[in-house]
Amino acid sequence: MLTELENEIIALIQGDIPITQRPYLEMAQKLGISEKTLLERLKDLCDKGVMRRFGATIYHQKSGFEANAMVAWKADEDRIDDAGEKMASFNEVSHCYRRNPTGDWPYNLYTMIHAKDEESCREIARNISAKTSINTYSLLFSRKELKKTSMKYFPADDDN
Amino acid sequence: MPPIDDMDRAILNLIQSDFPITPRPYLAIAERLGFSENDVIKRLGRLKKKGIIRRIGGNFVPEKLGFVSTLCAARVPEDKIQSFAVSVNRYPGVTHNYQRDNKYNVWFTFIAPSMEEIEENLKNISRQTGIREIINLPATKVFKIKAHFNL
Repeated sequence: MLTELENEIIALIQGDIPITQRPYLEMAQKLGISEKTLLERLKDLCDKGVMRRFGATIYHQKSGFEANAMVAWKADEDRIDDAGEKMASFNEVSHCYRRNPTGDWPYNLYTMIHAKDEESCREIARNISAKTSINTYSLLFSRKELKKTSMKYFPADDDN
Repeated sequence: MPPIDDMDRAILNLIQSDFPITPRPYLAIAERLGFSENDVIKRLGRLKKKGIIRRIGGNFVPEKLGFVSTLCAARVPEDKIQSFAVSVNRYPGVTHNYQRDNKYNVWFTFIAPSMEEIEENLKNISRQTGIREIINLPATKVFKIKAHFNL
């Protein structure tokens, strides 16, 4: 599906790109390719939709979004697409997914809400509830970050 | 001193997505904002050091790389959360893990080459930790993924 070079490029840019004048030149030299080739391949990975986003990942808690809540919603299955679209339209909602209920867990829509404090998260959830007419939902505030990292897809070999 | 000033904010708002893919990306950012390349590089270095920027790089769609991803939740007694987290976090495919206030109180994302592998790993985690209530909630539809925050 992807070429070996693409895999190597992904392995490199899933980490941190250097904050220097010519970051791509430095990375290209590590890969033994020209800067021009690296830039072309990167654009291509974006165009193909392999790369969802290329840029800085912000640590929210240090940048004014202190609270985040995962909200699990129990939507009517026959109106779930409409509800999901409405939820996604909220600016404070960063992620919205449909997931199948399982066992004793009845929820089928999930949103991540980011705001300055917990009360604001609750208010946003109330607004979403009003807009979607879904009244069965649960706010799950994060109490502790146990791990947060980004996926390492193609770990580089230990040599060189 | 406030953690970030207006100049930092302008840079951060610009580089969360569509980081320039050009030979001198920091110059491109600087030109768009009317700053110098050196200012942008210095400030980004500082924001990185302060932990406001976690990383600058690519974020991928697992499925496009031949991987699958899911969200899992577990019901763990309070006094076992730490040791459970150690067992779960050992897997490189577990990228996010949070303690949340719910009967299911540990929530983690799992990325792997196949769902069978994830199911197998969850069984191993159960065996190892004695935690039996672990649910696997793969997404069946994505309505939104956004990681851009207007600061």
